[in-house]
Amino acid sequence: MESTRVITEMILEEAKKSAEHIIQDAQKSAEETLEKQRQLGVQKANESARLLFKKAESEAELNKLNSMANAKIKANWVILSKKETWIDNVLNEVKNELKILTQSKKYLPILEKLITEAGVILGGKELEVLLNEQDSTLPLKLDELAKEISEKTGFKTKLKLSEEKPEVIGGAIVRTANGKIIMDNTFEDILKRREKEIKSKIAEILF
Amino acid sequence: MSVLLEAFKAIKEKHLEAKRIVEEATAQAEKLKNEAEQKALSVYEEAYKTTLSRAEQKAMDLKRKAVQDAERELKSFLLNAEDQAKGIEAKARKNFKKAVDSVLDIILQ
Repeated sequence: MESTRVITEMILEEAKKSAEHIIQDAQKSAEETLEKQRQLGVQKANESARLLFKKAESEAELNKLNSMANAKIKANWVILSKKETWIDNVLNEVKNELKILTQSKKYLPILEKLITEAGVILGGKELEVLLNEQDSTLPLKLDELAKEISEKTGFKTKLKLSEEKPEVIGGAIVRTANGKIIMDNTFEDILKRREKEIKSKIAEILF
Repeated sequence: MSVLLEAFKAIKEKHLEAKRIVEEATAQAEKLKNEAEQKALSVYEEAYKTTLSRAEQKAMDLKRKAVQDAERELKSFLLNAEDQAKGIEAKARKNFKKAVDSVLDIILQ
């Protein structure tokens, strides 16, 4: 009977050990399965994260480039606008100086030169001179100017003061008697005509 | 004979009991594995979400830092432009009269 008891206990003991092993193996396998899934999740998320970082980096770079480009445009605009303002200031001062000049004795020969120049460009003959209200009262020697134009062009020239009084700072408009060809030699038109050259000269000196 | 029979009977009973213990353990093991497999998807999703959420936060920090860096650079750039503008103004003020005289020369030459 004793040997039977030993055998049966051994059978039970073996069975219990096997059961324990089976459960331990199952637990281990379950843990491994879960760990594997966790790692897969992390791996997959890291792949998405890499794309996310790449996108974030390129967005940040793009934003930076945009802001810098805008800032450069703004800064250039500020500087250009400042330069433009100073150039305009110079031109306004030039106009003031020209107004002052028209009140001085120095002006008459200048006006005569402007009329002569215009007359020569038009090729002489019968010409009409348009002056502003104030300049029309100046003691201009139109006959002498006409003579000078005749000499320079080779055509007999007559200069007649027009009744028309343009509102200009100074200088003269000269036109052919039929009014078809006009040479504007007013200060305003000279400034306008040579604007590019003048502005470039101002910029060169100012800045 | 009767003693031997009793012994066989006892061994057979214990053998059946042992078989039952192993079967129960096998069933429990199967249950554990099934539970793990069912739980696997949520573990995967949880790990994915947590990792991605951390990455999103990091990406946002990166963008925020980039914006701050850009703002700093921008500020310095604009300050430089302001300095440049002040320099232009000072130079222009100094050369103003010369420029006016030069234009008058062009017009009256």
